Amino acid sequence: MGAGSGRRAARGSAGPGLTAPRCLADLIETFRAQLRDDPDVASAVVAIRVLLGFLKQDRGETIQGLRSSLLAAIDTLSRVDSSVAVSSGGELFLRFISLTSLEYSDYSKCKEIMIERGEIFLRKVSLSRNKIAKLCHPFIRDGAQILTHAYSRVVLRVLEAAVESKKRFSVYVTESQPDQAGQKMAKALRKLNIPVTVILDAAVGYIMEKVDLVLVGAEGVVESGGIINKIGTNQIAVCAKAQNKPFYVVAESFKFVRLFPLNQQDVPDKFKYKADTLKTSQNLTEEHPWIDYTSPSLITLLFTDLGVLTPSAVSDELIKLYL
Amino acid sequence: MPGAAERGSELSEQIEAFVARLRGGGERPRSEDTARQTLSLLRKIIAHGRWSRAGELMDLIRMEGQRMTAAQPSETTVGNMVRRVLKVIREEYGRLHGRSEESDQQESLHKLLTSGGLSEDFSTPYPPLRANVIEAINELLIELEGTTDNIAMQALEHIHSNEVIMTIGYSRTVEAFLKEAARKRKFQVIVAECAPFCQGHEMAVRLSKENIETTVMSDAAIFAVMSRVNKVIIGTKTILANGALIAVSGTHTLALAAKHHSTPLIVCAPMFKLSPQFPNEEDSFHKFVSPQEVLPFTEGEILAKINVHCPVFDYVPPELITLFISNIGGNAPSYIYRLMSELYHPDDYEL
Repeated sequence: MGAGSGRRAARGSAGPGLTAPRCLADLIETFRAQLRDDPDVASAVVAIRVLLGFLKQDRGETIQGLRSSLLAAIDTLSRVDSSVAVSSGGELFLRFISLTSLEYSDYSKCKEIMIERGEIFLRKVSLSRNKIAKLCHPFIRDGAQILTHAYSRVVLRVLEAAVESKKRFSVYVTESQPDQAGQKMAKALRKLNIPVTVILDAAVGYIMEKVDLVLVGAEGVVESGGIINKIGTNQIAVCAKAQNKPFYVVAESFKFVRLFPLNQQDVPDKFKYKADTLKTSQNLTEEHPWIDYTSPSLITLLFTDLGVLTPSAVSDELIKLYL
Repeated sequence: MPGAAERGSELSEQIEAFVARLRGGGERPRSEDTARQTLSLLRKIIAHGRWSRAGELMDLIRMEGQRMTAAQPSETTVGNMVRRVLKVIREEYGRLHGRSEESDQQESLHKLLTSGGLSEDFSTPYPPLRANVIEAINELLIELEGTTDNIAMQALEHIHSNEVIMTIGYSRTVEAFLKEAARKRKFQVIVAECAPFCQGHEMAVRLSKENIETTVMSDAAIFAVMSRVNKVIIGTKTILANGALIAVSGTHTLALAAKHHSTPLIVCAPMFKLSPQFPNEEDSFHKFVSPQEVLPFTEGEILAKINVHCPVFDYVPPELITLFISNIGGNAPSYIYRLMSELYHPDDYEL
C-alpha cells in the first residue's frame, strides 16, 4: 500500500458499486476518442455528450445515486482535461439533472425526460456557433483590420461568416506561446483566403494602433462578465482599452461558469495548469499558467447564442439559471 | 364588400402618406408625434386588415414596419413602436393560448436546459385577439401621452437650488424637465447653441419666458465653461442597446468635456426612444442634410474645390453617460439591456 495504490483506491472508491472502475476508465477513453474524432466540437460539448452516455447506461435507482456517480464521472473527466470548459459543461449538466428531477418525482420517468432533453440540448448547442456568427459578422466593417489571439473555433466561424457576406478584411494573429496556437489559426484563415499576419505576443502594443477591433474567443465566461482565456488575452485587452479599440468576445452560452474572480490569483489552480502538470509538479508557482482572467471593464460586448450582451448582462443570465 | 375595399384602399393611402412624410424630411418632427402616428396607423392596420391568425398579423405588421423604417432609417421611433406592437401581439396570444406568464419567451440558459422542444407556433386562431390587441395598443397610446410629464415629475430630485445646468440644442423633454424644476427652485441654465441650425436659441427663449436665468454660448466654448457647471442635462434622438446615444451633433463634445471635469451627464428620454440596435456599420444612423447651413451656396467658386458635410447626429458611447431619466424612472446605462428585454422580444430585433 502506498501513494500509488492510494491514488488507485481513490479513483475506484469514488464510483458506485462493482462496475465503477471499468465504467470510469471507459469514460476517459470515450472522451479522448471523441475529442480526437471531432476536433471541431468544443470540449464542453464533448464532456456533456459523454456524461449523457454515462447517464443512459447508469443502472442506479435513485437521484442521489445518480448525482454521486455523475460527480465522480465529472471528477474523472477533469483529471484528464482540467480546463474551464469541461468544468462548466459538467456543472451545467449537474444543474440540468437537478432541474429535471425537481419536476418529476418518479425516477424512471425522470430519467426518460432527462435523456430526451439532453438530446435536444445537444442539438441546440450544435447550432450555437452559427447563431453567434450571424450576430457578430455585421460588426466587421469592410476594410477592417482585426486582431485575434491564439486559436478559437468560434472566431474562425465568425470570420468565415464575414467572408461569406462578401466583406474584405485582414487579420493579425498573435503567435500565442507556448504552444504556438496562433500558427494553427493562421493556417486555417489562409485556407479561407483571408490575408493573415502572425505577430509576436510582445508586438501587441506595437500593432494596436493599426487595428480596428479585437475579437477573441473565451474558454469560460465568469459571473462578473469577465472572461477566462488563453494567457495573453488580458494584455491585449488592456492595450485595446488604452487605445480605445473595441474588444469583442465570442462565446457559447454553455461556457458561462459560476466563478467570480477579483484578480488573477482568484482563478483556481486547476484551470491555470494542465491536468498532467497538476499531478506531477512539485511547486506550482514555478509553472507557467495557461490562462488568464480579463476583467469586464475591458470588454465592450459579448456575442453569445443568447444574443449580444453587455458584460453586466452576463450575471443576469447566470442568476436566471442557478437560482 | 365595397365597404371593406374602400377601407382597405383608404388605409393604404394613409400608409403611403405617412411613408412619404417620413422620407420627405422637411420640418423636424417631434419623436412623440411620430410614435403616436405610427401606433395609430398600426392600430388601423390591425382593425381593418385581413388576417385570422396571430402569425399572419405579425407578418403583416412586420412587412408594413419594414416599409416604414426603410423610408427613414434615422427615425428609430417608428421601428421601436412596431416592435412594441409585435411584443403586445405575442403577449396577448400567449395569454389566450393559456401559457403562464412565467414561462419566458426569452432565450436563456435556463430555457436551453429545460425546454421540451419546438418554439411557439402562432397558428391557432382566437376571435378575441383583435379586440385584445387593440385594447393593449390604446394603453400604449395613453402611456405615450404621459411620458413627458412623468419625466418632468422627477425634476425636483435632480436639480437643486443655485445650480448651474448645461444643455445643448432644443429638446422638448429637457424643456419640460427644467420648467418643472423652476417652479420650486432657482437655478441657472447655460445653453450651447448647437450650430449650424442653432436650435439652442429657441430653447433659451423658451426657458427665459419662465424666468429661468439663461445664457447662450457657442459650441466652441463648451469646454471653457464646463468647470463652472454642476450638471449636464440633455435629450437624445435614440438610445441604443448598449446604452449609447444617437443625439444631435455636438453632444459627444459636450459629453467628453463633462467626463473630463467629472460632471454628471443626465439624459432625459422616454422609453419609446430605446432601440434594440447596436452601433455598427450596417445600420446607418447617420443623416446628412444640405450643407447650405455650413457653407452657403453663395460662396461661389470655392465650393467646387472642397467637400462640405452637415451631419445631423452624433454617437455618444455609454461610458460617458451617468444616468438615464425616462418615464419609468432613473437607470444606469449598464441596465439598458434589462429594459430592452422587457420592452421587446429578441426575435423582433431584426424587423
